[in-house]
Amino acid sequence: MIPLSWYLFLSLILFTIGVLGVLIRRNAIVIFMCIELMLNSVNLALVGFSSYIGNEIGQMLVFFVLVVAAAEVSVGLAIIIAIFRNRLTVNIDEINLLKW
Amino acid sequence: MEERFIIELTQSLKNFLPEVSLTVTLSLVILLDLIFGRRFKNIGAFVSLAGLVVTLFFTIKQYGGSYQIFRGMFVVDPYSTFFKFVFLLSAFVIVIFSLQSYELRETSARRRIGEYYFFILSLTLGAFLMAGSVNLIMMYLSLELVSISSYILAGYIKESERSSEASMKYVIYGALSSGLMIYGISLVYGLTGELNIYAINASFLSSGYSPIVLMISLVLILAGFGYKISAVPFHYWTPDVYEGAPITVTAFLSVSSKAAGFAMLVRFLKASFIDRTITLGIEGAWAVIQGLPLTEIVAVLSALTMTVGNIIAIWQNNLKRMLAYSSIAHAGYILMGVVVMQNLGISAMLIYFLAYLFMNLGAFYCVMLVAEKTGSEDIEVYKGLGYRAPFLSIVFTIFLVSLTGIPPTFGFIGKLYLFSALINAKVIWLAVVGVLNSVVSLYYYIRVVRNMFLGDPESGKEPINFSPAHIVVMLILVIPTLLFGVYFTPIVNFAQISVAMFGLR
Amino acid sequence: MQILGIGILTWIVFLPIVAMIFVLLVPKGRETWIKWISVVATGLQVILAAVLLLNYRYDLAGVNTLEGFQFVEKYRWIDVSGVAWFGRIVIDYFLGVDGLSMPMVVLTALISFIGAIASWELPKTKGYYALYLLLDTGMMGVFVALDFFLFYIFWEVMLLPMYFLIGIWGGPRREYAAIKFFIYTLLGSVLMLLVMIGLYFSTSIIDPVTGEKVHTFNMLAMMDPKNYEPGSIFSGLHTTWRYIAYIALFIGFAIKVPIVPFHTWLPDAHVEAPTPISVILAGVLLKMGTYGMLRISFPIFPDGMIKYALPMAILGFINIVYGALAAMAQEDFKKLIAYSSISHMGYVVLGMAALNTQGVTGAIMQMFNHGTITAMLFLIVGVLYDRAHTRGLYEFGGLANQMPKYFGIVIIAFFAALGLPGLSGFISEAFVFLGAFQTYKWIAIFSATGVIITAGYILWTTQRLFFGQLPERWKNLPDINARELVTLVPLAIIVIFLGVYPSPLINLMNTSVNHLVKFVSEMGQAGMQLGILP
Repeated sequence: MIPLSWYLFLSLILFTIGVLGVLIRRNAIVIFMCIELMLNSVNLALVGFSSYIGNEIGQMLVFFVLVVAAAEVSVGLAIIIAIFRNRLTVNIDEINLLKW
Repeated sequence: MEERFIIELTQSLKNFLPEVSLTVTLSLVILLDLIFGRRFKNIGAFVSLAGLVVTLFFTIKQYGGSYQIFRGMFVVDPYSTFFKFVFLLSAFVIVIFSLQSYELRETSARRRIGEYYFFILSLTLGAFLMAGSVNLIMMYLSLELVSISSYILAGYIKESERSSEASMKYVIYGALSSGLMIYGISLVYGLTGELNIYAINASFLSSGYSPIVLMISLVLILAGFGYKISAVPFHYWTPDVYEGAPITVTAFLSVSSKAAGFAMLVRFLKASFIDRTITLGIEGAWAVIQGLPLTEIVAVLSALTMTVGNIIAIWQNNLKRMLAYSSIAHAGYILMGVVVMQNLGISAMLIYFLAYLFMNLGAFYCVMLVAEKTGSEDIEVYKGLGYRAPFLSIVFTIFLVSLTGIPPTFGFIGKLYLFSALINAKVIWLAVVGVLNSVVSLYYYIRVVRNMFLGDPESGKEPINFSPAHIVVMLILVIPTLLFGVYFTPIVNFAQISVAMFGLR
Repeated sequence: MQILGIGILTWIVFLPIVAMIFVLLVPKGRETWIKWISVVATGLQVILAAVLLLNYRYDLAGVNTLEGFQFVEKYRWIDVSGVAWFGRIVIDYFLGVDGLSMPMVVLTALISFIGAIASWELPKTKGYYALYLLLDTGMMGVFVALDFFLFYIFWEVMLLPMYFLIGIWGGPRREYAAIKFFIYTLLGSVLMLLVMIGLYFSTSIIDPVTGEKVHTFNMLAMMDPKNYEPGSIFSGLHTTWRYIAYIALFIGFAIKVPIVPFHTWLPDAHVEAPTPISVILAGVLLKMGTYGMLRISFPIFPDGMIKYALPMAILGFINIVYGALAAMAQEDFKKLIAYSSISHMGYVVLGMAALNTQGVTGAIMQMFNHGTITAMLFLIVGVLYDRAHTRGLYEFGGLANQMPKYFGIVIIAFFAALGLPGLSGFISEAFVFLGAFQTYKWIAIFSATGVIITAGYILWTTQRLFFGQLPERWKNLPDINARELVTLVPLAIIVIFLGVYPSPLINLMNTSVNHLVKFVSEMGQAGMQLGILP
């Protein structure tokens, strides 16, 4: 039996990688991949907690998180396409009309 | 068993009529736009208006009751109903704005704009759900419904580089903070094994908790809320999105999305982190569970938010961007009502939202009209406007004065109540920060007024005329701003009754 | 006392607003109508003030007793029924006058009327008079309001019109001056707002209508220590919070007076404002600061007043001497008058700080007399500036023969300002020194140097303007005209009359001042003797 803390550490590591990726990477597509990573690490934690605590509410939330992640990413990709049509780039350093 | 479930479901649906009617309306909007959209460009707007009126009717019928539905997923109480009025009113006003918006007119020449109204309504629906959710799943879902609708709205004019850039930034910041929030939620779930906020509270009280883990998860969840209400340091998206998005959308986000965030934040804090075993001796005050410096966190957040918002706003030359920073500052003011953890503070917050609804929408409307006539939102085009468009300039001045919080305007009453709440709870330092911020804010609001009236009218510029429809909309927004500044009894009454939340003192 | 079923004080306060609505309705191209409407409205205000004066009872004190107030109007304005966690909210529309406010009401009516006439030639008539009348309502309201909330509303209502009046019709640096004025005064008033809210939560009275205990903004209730709820922030006497509140209120009012070091907005605002607005600013607005202290700070925080009386007297001294010295250094005529205002308001502060009958009487008299004298001075500057389009003192000379009638009027105003016996300025300064000498001997003596410096700059200015060689370019300056005389002569008559026979003014305030002094010193000392002092 693998203890809960292992799941949690894995989830924490994945989450951190995800957050750092969002903050550091410059390609919008990669950023969205990192967001997916964040959400999936949350799912891992939720499933871990759920089986540890012994109720199913956590696993229920996982489904909703999956759906939301899909929706968020589909909207995100649509916006990226809109941007690409205007600018021919998805590098967020070059998307800088609006500042200060 | 099954029968009881069905009975419960129908019971719940009966109390869910405002949301149902919104859902029906938004389906109708997309459907009718598909069928008639080519011939009647604005069919979506009129269907939306009709739907909002019907929803208003159901919401009024609901007012006063307090019960939970859908097995503790959702509550209907005066508090959520109050916010529903705010959302409805602002959606209604925004649809009218949109009918007159030049940006949308240009877009509608290229394609159908039914989806625009669809998303306005779906954002409103999300906000409705946010105001009433008592389960973290529902909270997360409704927050995402609002967020996703607003991402799309912000980028609605996809041909515009600014608009799509705004939407891009919005979606990245939004996804990041909702990711942080859901991680926080998972930690809370791990601590308690519950997702219903009342059950979470019960679990804290009965089986204890680790303050440090709770702190971490609270901070993570606050990141999600802070992003929604654009509190510093989660505000980075606000100026960019507000500047880039179409003005109607900016105005809508600044009121509805923010109000929804506050509605949920306060309910979450009050329901989850309250210690009912402690009585403070003050009527209407709630004690925070031990070991959690919630008051201090929110107070610092509030002071930071208003100070940063106000100080950066001073340097802005784009009016939309300036109003974005001003809306950050206003989030800070409103947070002052949360700090005190008392009903008085909540009622002050509600009063402030009503004031903010009128004055902020009004200010954005004026910016929109000027942008339409002059083609720019830059502060320079306001030079001499007082002589070219006197009526608009006077009305705009009233909105700005109200945003500053000078009597006799509604904005002053809002501030008065916020400061009263702070002083009553003896959080004097924050009140002092608040009033000093009001003085700072005067500087940038009055800069617009200065450009409009001071300085000589430039010769060779013809007067700007507005259609009666424009004037009527301005009057609809400016009359309450002045009237409730002088006679605010009904507003205060309404707000005080609306503080009541389901299952809480 | 009522006219058409509406109280006379309501009339005097809201008459300008009614006139403002008429002004806004006047069609384009009828500027003369606008001017006449405004002049008639402000003239009616003067008549109403005279009616008040004729019906005024000299034996009633007021200050902290409801029975002592006259022409009282009290109606329920805001009434929010209580909820479980928060009591009933009641705000009254509460007006009344006593000996402290009566001179100010008369002064405001008078100066507004004269200002309206003096504004005759200004451009953009409609906007100007609309704002002017709004300002008038605000000023009058401040002097008759007895509910703190109402007082605050009137206080703030003045800000925006004043901002526009300076900012649109002012001189070259008007934008800077206007925003400076606005920000300074707003800073002062937000401090006042916090104290007001604190007082609201600290005091509660039994509502006579319902018998419930309610918090109140009623100033009279705030003056009675019995009404303070135990444990509330301002309960007791001589507590730290009360001292802080007193200082906050003091700063709020001091900005308006202005007391050094909060005075820097004043020279800018006065110099840039158009003549009639300078007249209003110096004649009425500055008095609001000192009036606010007498009406609010002193009776509500007598403990703070007693504790900080000495610093206040010192500030008064600094004001007198600093203002006079700064005036001496000016080359701009209008700036000189502006600094002389600071100096003269110093006498008011000194007199109030003395807290005895002579001192406070002198202070209120000085408020009234400075109002009239300084109004004259600014009008005089305006007359010269309208003709010469410059205010540089060194550019003039020998005007006595060129403009003899003007010279005559100027001499009256100047001598009144320097405190020549026989003119009103002398009486009030004498009273202030009499009062101050009893309490603060040395400060009074040092302050007297201010009189000498004042004499210095006034006489020098007279010399520079009127004697010596008349420069070639001013050979065609016309003398003062009839409209300008209409504005100046009534003020000159008042100045001379009150200089020879001041008792009407003294009688007007005497009962109230005695009562105020007795009340404040007893209350303030009561706490000290009881040993509550930390």
